[in-house]
Amino acid sequence: MVAVEAISLTKAFGDFLAVRDLSFKVEEGSVFGLLGPNGAGKTTTLRMIYGVLRPTSGTARVMGVDVRENPLEVKRMMGVLPEDTGVYPRLTAEENLIYFGKLRGMEEGRLRRRVDKLLDILDLSEKRFVIADKLSRGQKQKLAFARAILDEPPVLLLDEPTLGVDVMSAREIRRMIGEYASSGRTVILSTHNMWEVERLCDRIAIISEGTLRYEGSREDLERLAGEKEFEDIFVRLVRGETVGKAV
Amino acid sequence: MVRLFKGSSGVVKFTRGFGQRGYALPDAPWLVVAWKELLEAFRDRRTMLNVVLLPVILMPVVISLPALMLNPKTIPPKILVVVDDPGGMDLARRMKSLRNESGALVTVVSGGGNFTNLILSGEVDLIVEIPKGFYENVSSGRTGELIYYYDPYGARSSVAMGIVQEVVNQYSEEVLRERLRAINVSEEYIRPVVAVAKQITSTGGEATTSDIITAMVLPMMVGLIAITGAGTFAIDMIAGERERKTLEALFTNPVSRGQLLMGKFTALTLLSLVSGLATLLSALIGVLFAVSSASGYASATAIPQLMEPSRLLYLSFGILMTVALGGLTGNAVMVTAASFAKTFKEAQQYVGFLTLVLVVPMIAIPYAPQSLYPVLRLLPVSSLAMFARDMIVNPGELGAVISSLAASILYLIAFLWLSARMFGRESVIFG
Repeated sequence: MVAVEAISLTKAFGDFLAVRDLSFKVEEGSVFGLLGPNGAGKTTTLRMIYGVLRPTSGTARVMGVDVRENPLEVKRMMGVLPEDTGVYPRLTAEENLIYFGKLRGMEEGRLRRRVDKLLDILDLSEKRFVIADKLSRGQKQKLAFARAILDEPPVLLLDEPTLGVDVMSAREIRRMIGEYASSGRTVILSTHNMWEVERLCDRIAIISEGTLRYEGSREDLERLAGEKEFEDIFVRLVRGETVGKAV
Repeated sequence: MVRLFKGSSGVVKFTRGFGQRGYALPDAPWLVVAWKELLEAFRDRRTMLNVVLLPVILMPVVISLPALMLNPKTIPPKILVVVDDPGGMDLARRMKSLRNESGALVTVVSGGGNFTNLILSGEVDLIVEIPKGFYENVSSGRTGELIYYYDPYGARSSVAMGIVQEVVNQYSEEVLRERLRAINVSEEYIRPVVAVAKQITSTGGEATTSDIITAMVLPMMVGLIAITGAGTFAIDMIAGERERKTLEALFTNPVSRGQLLMGKFTALTLLSLVSGLATLLSALIGVLFAVSSASGYASATAIPQLMEPSRLLYLSFGILMTVALGGLTGNAVMVTAASFAKTFKEAQQYVGFLTLVLVVPMIAIPYAPQSLYPVLRLLPVSSLAMFARDMIVNPGELGAVISSLAASILYLIAFLWLSARMFGRESVIFG
């Protein structure tokens, strides 16, 4: 079953076309990688899917629900880690999670258990009562990740989830992403970390200048680029240097 | 033991309980948003400045300090009486007795000399010279001339002059009466016209000092405080959130913008109520204190006059309604500006400008002619000040109260609609 579907998504900011006619499908229970150089339109695409930007044309469907028609229902089914963590600096780590849990309508007992568990798993228990302003970049990133998976939504949208996180925590986050997908949920991942894409993603889309260049499995892209190393594959595909037939 | 508070400030420790009790928060998203906004506001140092320091400490000091400083009993003015005419000693003695009545420090010296440098050095606030020939002129039916030497820039010189002038007027009156008696002419004869001032008030009673303060200052102050109370918080809750990049994450939740805005408004209104009422109360105490210390009118009697049960109910209702209406209107305007601005700085500039725009009608109201009142009751912002005035000063005029209240509510709805439109725009997240 298709969990997320982008249908001819287009976004213009004045005369500038940030994303043009972008379409792809993400299967339920898979990890989908969104790759592209800076300014390619990855974040704008994600923002249209999670409903904070309204597409100029086209639409996105999440679990069959149209984001233009029912944005709140779509948001209910999605956990989001935006490009900027969006952690409230004057709230403690715990309060940040409580705030979002309550806004997402979580039952109090379940919210308490989830907060305890996630702070523990992500090694943030000691920072529970510390205001977020005092947390390191990596700790804030982990807190934002915990917030995204707080109510275990069926779809997870992550924009650079391991940015600034130490090796141990990045490893933990990657393990949790893998677990998330294997439990039947769907993850869309935007990242510059090639190794992460290689390890985690079932399918990968490469975006450049607001347009979808290629989409397929790692093997598909390898064949297309004629390279073995994923970084080389990415560079060749962004430059449009293909040896195989596009998928 | 786990160091729970490591890295946390005292304010966080103090307010952490609110966060703990967050588990027991109601489910309504707008209340959750209001809780979080208040929690953040309590932890913001600017809150202490706006809600505690400014209204409770600074406002009464600013208002009462000038009157306190000019009160002769606080710092007695120093007066030097130079008697160059022995016949003027009687008047000099009367001036000397001022020390007991007004607290002024009066020194009397005989003989001439140049004492003006004492004024420039600040050793003396006023020099009164009784020149040679003064008494002869007075006793022979001519005008005796006194000379005041004073500092035109010194407020204390003016105070000292006022004190001395009272004695001089009294002395002059006595001499005048003696002269009239000598020629057998009555006082009425030389004062053919005397004006008697009679007060006309809506209540029919005579206005006391506290009434006049209430009529002139209170409506303006109430409106002013209501409208400008929570500007800082409005910027922080919209432009501040955008600047800290928290607005995008907030908008990923399944909560409508209307609910989010309602939560922010609830917190803003509570903050403006607290800050508005605190400022108002302390300013009122400051004004009453200033008046009582300047005029000798006992604050002990002025305050209870305002607090008479019959007046208190109407007054409190009027103030509460104005602060609530004004707070909401002001917040709606500020939220609109903060949503429209691209950056925090830009929002501050808009809010600063709008505060001035909102304040001008409030200041102008006490000086506006009565014929303009019906129009002022229908104009934006001034309708609010007029409502305050009507509720506090003219409680009997129901038609006036209703028209200013209806206009204020209509403008509030318009501003709320505008703020919701602005907050609903895509650019509110990314500028």
